[in-house]
Amino acid sequence: MKYGKLLGAAAALLAAGSTVALAADVKVGSAAGITGPIEGLVPPILAGRDLAAAHVNEQGGILGGGTYVLVPGDSQCNPKAAVDAGTKLVNVEQVVAVIGPSCSGATNGMVQSVNIPAGVVTLSDSATAPMISFLEDNDLVFRAAPSDGYQSSALAQHVWDQGLRKIAVTYANDDYNAGLGEAFVAAFEHIGGTIAGKQAHEPDRQSYRSELATLAGGGAEALAVFAYYGGSGITILRNSLENALFDQFLGADGMMDNSVIEQLGADTLRGKITLSQPAPQAEGDSGPGESYTAFAEAFKAAGHDPEAPYVAHGYDVAFLMALAIEKAGAADRSKISAALREVANAPGMVIRPGEWAKAREAIAAGEDVNYEGASGDIEFDENGDVAGATYSFNGVGDDGTWTPMQ
Amino acid sequence: MMDFVNFHLIPGVVLGSIYALGAIGVTLTFGILRFANFAHGETMTLGAYLTLTLVLLTGWHALLFLPVALALTALLVLAMDRMFFRPLRHAPSIILVIASFGLMLMVRSLVQVIWGTELQGFSKGITLPWVLFDSLRVFPKHVVILTAAIALMVAVHVLLRHTRTGKAMRAMSDSPELARLTGIDTERVVRATWIVGAGLAAAAGIFLAYDSHVETLMGFKMLLPVFASALLGGLGRPYGAMAGGLVIGVVEELSTYAWIGSEPLLPPGYKAGVAFAIMVAILIWRPSGLFRGRVF
Amino acid sequence: MEQLYGIFVYAVFLLTMGGIYAVLTLGLNIQWGFTGLFNAGVAGFFAIGAYTTAFLTTAPSARHFGGFELPAGAGMVAAMVASALIAWGVARICIRLRSDYLAIATLGIAEIFRLVLKNETWATNGARGVSLIPKPFEHLPEPWNQVAMLLLVFAIVLVLYGLLERARRAPWGRVMSAIRENEAAARAAGKNVDKLRIEAFILGAAIMGLGGALMAHHIKFIDPNMAEPVSATFLVWVMLVIGGSANNRGAILGALLVWTIWSTTEIITTRLPTEWALKAAYLRIFLVGLALQLILQRYPGGIFRERRLRTSTTASNRGGGSHP
Repeated sequence: MKYGKLLGAAAALLAAGSTVALAADVKVGSAAGITGPIEGLVPPILAGRDLAAAHVNEQGGILGGGTYVLVPGDSQCNPKAAVDAGTKLVNVEQVVAVIGPSCSGATNGMVQSVNIPAGVVTLSDSATAPMISFLEDNDLVFRAAPSDGYQSSALAQHVWDQGLRKIAVTYANDDYNAGLGEAFVAAFEHIGGTIAGKQAHEPDRQSYRSELATLAGGGAEALAVFAYYGGSGITILRNSLENALFDQFLGADGMMDNSVIEQLGADTLRGKITLSQPAPQAEGDSGPGESYTAFAEAFKAAGHDPEAPYVAHGYDVAFLMALAIEKAGAADRSKISAALREVANAPGMVIRPGEWAKAREAIAAGEDVNYEGASGDIEFDENGDVAGATYSFNGVGDDGTWTPMQ
Repeated sequence: MMDFVNFHLIPGVVLGSIYALGAIGVTLTFGILRFANFAHGETMTLGAYLTLTLVLLTGWHALLFLPVALALTALLVLAMDRMFFRPLRHAPSIILVIASFGLMLMVRSLVQVIWGTELQGFSKGITLPWVLFDSLRVFPKHVVILTAAIALMVAVHVLLRHTRTGKAMRAMSDSPELARLTGIDTERVVRATWIVGAGLAAAAGIFLAYDSHVETLMGFKMLLPVFASALLGGLGRPYGAMAGGLVIGVVEELSTYAWIGSEPLLPPGYKAGVAFAIMVAILIWRPSGLFRGRVF
Repeated sequence: MEQLYGIFVYAVFLLTMGGIYAVLTLGLNIQWGFTGLFNAGVAGFFAIGAYTTAFLTTAPSARHFGGFELPAGAGMVAAMVASALIAWGVARICIRLRSDYLAIATLGIAEIFRLVLKNETWATNGARGVSLIPKPFEHLPEPWNQVAMLLLVFAIVLVLYGLLERARRAPWGRVMSAIRENEAAARAAGKNVDKLRIEAFILGAAIMGLGGALMAHHIKFIDPNMAEPVSATFLVWVMLVIGGSANNRGAILGALLVWTIWSTTEIITTRLPTEWALKAAYLRIFLVGLALQLILQRYPGGIFRERRLRTSTTASNRGGGSHP
């Protein structure tokens, strides 16, 4: 019995080997900070990317039945490691294109040193540093995450509309949160608000009580926390609430994860926190749009939390890259850049997360397609950036999960 | 004024006592095995994750498992010593440092594989403090951590002063050659060192997790301040390590107090550098540490 | 054919990174191998070199200080000078400390440097780093620009090797090893031990600064994460100890060997099935650690042992952290 199975597996392997000639695997590099400072954030993002690949492979595969394979690379959130991972993906694995890596610094190093010289398209799901727009990239670098100004301005405007006038700001001193924090301060002051104290903090400390006590001395109505939930976000909320230093909080998508509610308790947080998250809205309606819902349901069914930071972006970049390869008609590096723009940007038949079969047929019929992603509509401008999505503002709902609030 | 006590002094003392527990292990390893053990931070992480597993299995309070977790961690560390340090017992100390670096990488990756990298916690929700005299805020968990830390330190004191093993450890730390001549079973002392060091490191990890949460890099992030504490107290000096840990914990927290005006004295982004600044200052002013450590 | 070409490009890249690490390892070898100075702050001098050349060779930018558009060669020389100057300051404070104290002091100073780079945003662009650093030969077509970079790195490694071998054999090198073996005797013989140790510390740091500059030009980007201690200090130590300290050839080959292990293990782990992808990435680091342990147990004195100038009775007692 046991041996029979083994033989069967061996035969299947051989069979798989022989079909290669008909419909080859299409390999795309999937770089992320799997180990290193953001290692806690990465597994859900990779799950998002893998879900997109599963959708492609379940619905007929890529380029005439080939398997869409994501080859992982560990960029460690460190440019040195990212460059090393990138060169292995591009040269040894011979991937068609690269999605990721996670951090802005890792992305910056990898594209400049490896991907651009090799003519390989990079599509990042979470690099938000404005600098990346200014690289001489021969149109090879794309981002599905908006540059940080957008989210901060949207959040600043939202809390201003909610009546907040005086806010204290603390941000983790890393390449993602520092940008968000600075942009928020500028945006809120521009509207006319007052910043009652601003601090950069070193992430991963055991306690922020002393920093928070100083910030609370400024008399602010709320605390804006720009941090990853695991690095310092949860600790800051915990220290503030336990010591009654602040009782209103706002933040961005780096904070939005179920573990925040799990760790601190839904009742503790209800009515006290507002987190912004890119979420395409339905036309004329304030609820989450169809694209996001389609993704969220599939992701939940796969046993993951769709609200974790950047998982929707992760799904989008993997799906979009498959669309671009299908559109290009061949696993040809030089054709991906143009194809990516075509499948992402309007006009064209609207394709939503999970609709691979539909997209494949449309592309085969020569129709133009337009992917509207879970994280936003994704229309690349001339720098390969997306404009700010619409954002939802979330609090803790009655069911104890993150829920969009009015 | 009460802000100073509540938000700077008390957190500093709690953090300092956790540093101190970690630093005792570093300093003992240094005194007896003669190398700086980079895997010490991962020992803390291991203690916290073992406790987490027991908590998730039973649903009981984390601190009930303190003895079990300490023993388990010590056993694992003894096994690691057997595999990776014992074959190098007579090698130069730099080789042991590099071996401990390799071990650090190995333990961390096993923790990542077994428990995953996502953040977890011993308990849910927040705990509110007791408010005494209308202004003093005391957290039950901090009282527990401090009491347990002090109890562990007293236990170490008793061990070192009043047991044969402890006396042998001190003798070996003072002069290994002499200790060997007087017929002390050095391997036995080495085992005792690992058990004490690993147990205290596990306790430090568990207290840290109890105060905040469990994550894969928690021990590594403690490593440098713990080294600084051990050095401040004088390498090879367990009492020095206790004092060093407390000093560093408290000064770190006080560095962001608004001593002048309403802004923190030191921008909080530099907080992690405080331990090192103290350390360098001490090295210039009193190179053998506060408690006259080993100079060789 | 494409696969072969890819492997060729990867090999060029692997050797370039290995070569840059070899520069760092040679710098450390002067300090530790020849003089016995336990510098655990390699990352600090690496960062000073990398940022110095980044400021001098980039185009003007509102994001960070500098922008003088100097040629890369000038940037590298300046990187060495800047590292040397700072090393002089550090050495003045720390040089008299015994090996383990010196290690922790330099580790601390390097961490303080990294915090400054992260926090003084006006000058360094903080955690966002400095981008668009020019790379030598980047106007050449692929893959010749990469080959040219490799040749440059190896030319530098060879020149350093030649100079260090000469220095080792010269009176200066002999005095250095005399200090390392028996400081009291060297002092008794009238040598200014502190001055000589400061010289070695500065020379080693300048070479580390050069390594940092090469890395900045190679990656075209530098941020404070690149100066974190694991990949910028400890890895260099591992390379030196594995290769064989006090042996320049060992330092170079140790760097190439360890970097190859560090990098190629990922090629193996990505071969595992996708459901293992995450765990494989964690296990890769486990494999690196295990490889280290195996090499240490097999070659506790490093693969290349020190080559003695003459027979010495202390030869068996080499490489210890606690010099008598």
